[in-house]
Amino acid sequence: MYRRLIHIYQVRNGLIHIQNRRLPSTKCKERESFVPVIWATGRASQRPLGTSSISFSENKESSTSLSEDNKKRPEENEASAEVNSDRQENTKINEGNEISNAMLTSQLETEPVVKPEDSKKFDKTKTGKESLLELLGAMKVEVTTIRKIRPPKIPRINERPDPQPMESAHSMFQHATAEGSQQRETLNPTLVAAASAAASTLPNSRQAESELLQQLRKHEAIPETQRRADGQNIGDIIADMKVGKRQNGRSNARPSSQIRFDDDGQGYTQDRGITGELDAVRTRKSPFTSKRLNIFTAGAEQDSLSDLGPTLWDINLAKQIVQTTNQMPRNGFEEMIQWTKEGKLWQYPINNEAGLEEEANVPFHEHVFLEKHLDESFPRQGPVRHFMELVITGLAKNHHLTVQQKQEHIAWFRDYFQQKDNVLKEAEV
Amino acid sequence: MAAWKLLSTGMGLLQSSLPACRSPLGVVEQVRSYYVDWRMLRDVKRRQMAFEYADTRLRINAIRKNTILPKELQEIADKEIAALPRDSCPVRIRNRCVMTSRPRGVKRRWRLSRIVFRHLADHNQMSGIQRSMW
Repeated sequence: MYRRLIHIYQVRNGLIHIQNRRLPSTKCKERESFVPVIWATGRASQRPLGTSSISFSENKESSTSLSEDNKKRPEENEASAEVNSDRQENTKINEGNEISNAMLTSQLETEPVVKPEDSKKFDKTKTGKESLLELLGAMKVEVTTIRKIRPPKIPRINERPDPQPMESAHSMFQHATAEGSQQRETLNPTLVAAASAAASTLPNSRQAESELLQQLRKHEAIPETQRRADGQNIGDIIADMKVGKRQNGRSNARPSSQIRFDDDGQGYTQDRGITGELDAVRTRKSPFTSKRLNIFTAGAEQDSLSDLGPTLWDINLAKQIVQTTNQMPRNGFEEMIQWTKEGKLWQYPINNEAGLEEEANVPFHEHVFLEKHLDESFPRQGPVRHFMELVITGLAKNHHLTVQQKQEHIAWFRDYFQQKDNVLKEAEV
Repeated sequence: MAAWKLLSTGMGLLQSSLPACRSPLGVVEQVRSYYVDWRMLRDVKRRQMAFEYADTRLRINAIRKNTILPKELQEIADKEIAALPRDSCPVRIRNRCVMTSRPRGVKRRWRLSRIVFRHLADHNQMSGIQRSMW
């Protein structure tokens, strides 16, 4: 029981990564039929919310991909059921797959029902959808529930009655449409159409639509300069806020004789003295809480070096720095790192072609077809030619030599036979 | 004078590793270490020379061990290979123990003599080696 509790604790805290599929099999073998159903339905039921709010862009593609998956899965199920009929886990996964398949097919049925309704809007909203799709695809969308702090607090009251699940979709489209509204003149009607199309996929379409359009108008009303000024306003607000002292009464102070355990409960922490309190004293006024002095202009860091790479001087400087600092390896690992850099130790995982990266680019015909080297300065007939042809067939089959080594080999023979020319002629005679 | 030469060149093949190790003072100390004995040193020399002349020896031997080329050529090749330095042939290399330079009883995989191998294995310094009993 003790172990189980720890296990659960660890699983909950994400310390152990267990695939969700395996959990039911290890825990309860009796309730085989129930658990996968519940799990599968749970997962499948989350889908409508997910698909509508987040995967709007994937709607078109997902419908096709879902149908493909549905086609693939029954085949997979049959094949795997035949192969893994013994194992329980896989049959459970198959059951889960079949159940999720059922859910997906039901979803697919709902989607074509939705589609004829949208067909009226289809012609109008297609351009809006496309533009929105492009926008979404092009930019990174922040899905945040954090609201931006705005100096006028009146709009906040209007925002409050938003229903909770709408927020993520709201903020997402808020950001998306905000950045899209930069091209105001050309996109405005299309934005409206896109907003209405987006709202149509959400559960409360009319309310969502009206609120989305409201947000659009607000965004376009606020000029961009004011949006930038918001950042500075926040800074001023934070800077003007007084730093309040926490009245914990030095909560970390314990009687010095009391033993404080280490994080894992195994060892004891050393006696730290008053450094903890000194730390608290130090962190009251950190550089980020005080007001900006505006001594330096913000544009000082722009002229960064756009070189092709580090110059020789940079390399030399780096080497000098490396040399002057203390470099003794502190442990065996650092020693091995040093040896690997020097080349004394091989690089792991072992690469058989460690020094031969350039050779990989050499085409094979340079390795195999070496007769062209034979044609210069070798006799066309005779024992020498025979011998050299044997040499060349041997070289062609050699995997371990580089092309240059092979050419050197042939060149050596060429020189040798040229030196022994007279001997060869005498031998022929 | 000959003795001086021996001293300078013989252990001139001493292993000296330069700035790899640095004292905490930042000063480069020249680390000198020696081979176990002179025989080991000579073996090292032979290995280096054999590596140098390996290609040449291979090619000349290819001419010698042949039925195609004329015999006169092969005789000349015989003389040529005999003229190469004696230490260049790989046959003279002896696989000595790396720790003690023992010429006999050396296991090839570990390059150690049987005594050193046993010593290290008993003190658990050899990875994957266990006292066997069956």
